[in-house]
Amino acid sequence: MENALLVGLSRQITLQRNLEVIANNVANMNTTGFKARTVNFEEFISPTARADTLPSTNRRVSYVADQGTDLDLSNGAVEQTGNPLDIALRENVLLGVETQSGFRYTRNGSLSLNETGTLVTSDGERVLVGGGPIQLNPGKTGVHFSPDGTIETDDGPIGRLELYEVTDPSQLTNLGANTYGSRTQLPEANSPRIVPGALERSNVQPIIEMSRLIEVNRAYSSLASMQQRLDETRRSAVERLATVQ
Amino acid sequence: MRALYTAATGMMAQETNVQVISNNIANLRTTGYKRQRAQFQDLLYETLRRAGAVTAAAGQQVPAALEIGAGVKTVSTARAMSQGPISVTDREYDIAIRGEGFLRVVLPDGTTAYTRDGSLNLDAQGQIVTSDGYLIDPAISVPDTAVKVTISPNGSVQALLQGEVAAQEIGQIQLSTFVNKSGLSSLGDNLFAETSASGPPLTGNPNEENRGNLQQYYLEEANVNAVTEISNLISAQRAYEMNSKVVTAADQMSSTTSQMFRG
Repeated sequence: MENALLVGLSRQITLQRNLEVIANNVANMNTTGFKARTVNFEEFISPTARADTLPSTNRRVSYVADQGTDLDLSNGAVEQTGNPLDIALRENVLLGVETQSGFRYTRNGSLSLNETGTLVTSDGERVLVGGGPIQLNPGKTGVHFSPDGTIETDDGPIGRLELYEVTDPSQLTNLGANTYGSRTQLPEANSPRIVPGALERSNVQPIIEMSRLIEVNRAYSSLASMQQRLDETRRSAVERLATVQ
Repeated sequence: MRALYTAATGMMAQETNVQVISNNIANLRTTGYKRQRAQFQDLLYETLRRAGAVTAAAGQQVPAALEIGAGVKTVSTARAMSQGPISVTDREYDIAIRGEGFLRVVLPDGTTAYTRDGSLNLDAQGQIVTSDGYLIDPAISVPDTAVKVTISPNGSVQALLQGEVAAQEIGQIQLSTFVNKSGLSSLGDNLFAETSASGPPLTGNPNEENRGNLQQYYLEEANVNAVTEISNLISAQRAYEMNSKVVTAADQMSSTTSQMFRG
């Protein structure tokens, strides 16, 4: 009986975390280049809690644990902005930027020039072009990107964005502010494809998030009522046992 | 229940988004208005289980991290400084800038502001001023005997005086460009001010470098696209609603917890 309560509790805790992940996805529904995460559950078989008197199929007590949150790297919708320095990254491609805390990857392609003419992200982090930041002369006209990531002006190409290909999304960790870190150095993308003059919206699918939300909510309350029933069973057992002379 | 606060950050962000969109729509017909766009970023993540952590003596590693984000924040309301459509007005002192440049305007306190709004007028002294009565820089006086004023694409202002045959040059309009136009701060009244992010102004005559040229008898309209704004409004409103659903769900789960055992 205690086991049943604890199994229920293990599920309730994971459901609460699942809700938090859904809340974060929904909150970032309009964040440029945001990638949704989904919770991955696993069965956790208790090594000590056993019910050896039960039939063999029921002996082990299994709990549930949240094992990880998987990053969904699928493409988000592309929104035309008309700003020539906006780029929408496609497929599993990330952009390399130099931040105060070191090298980072980002999916946010809302780029601009800062006061010195250096190409930066919307956070002011410098975008890497061929190994370092790139500074454009104030007089340069017609700055734009070509679909393979080359920066061009009216005088011709001047460099290429550092684009990296993600082969294993589980290597990436979210560092906030639309940036990622990777446990292993990502390889440069062979044939990257970007959409100039557009931004990528988040890939959060509202319908899926809302259905998960309902599912989490219902599962949570059904577990609560299960535990309540277990509690009543236990209480009536205690009362009946106590009335025996 | 952290989900409550996470969803609250989402609702706040969407509120800002709707505010920015409504300002764009309100300025749909404002001369030289440049539309804004709210930019969002995700907040910090809490790592409950780190990817790559060793789970067993044999060296097995956790393949995917358990990371839970804390919501969203608004980082900027950057302006899209793209060219707006140009419409004919047939007014002598209306000029549209085709290109990157800004007109220079002297504010009453002596500082310089920049604008794309070229609906100019004459004041009582015959000087060329903006529709708010601020002088343009460099100042240009039109003689009161002028019959016709011509502003050429390269900024030279010529006046045909009464009883004369040839027009004479009476001044030169200059334009300023910035390395980072999106870094300009908005002063309202269609005016922008230089900031440390925009870089110093690069001033000169129109038609040179990338400053663009002037088009007399025309005005530049706002670069707001009504269809884009309305669809953004719909998506912002729906996102707001969905965030509120998450708040409701978190609230219901909290209430389920508190009602689990009643003695």
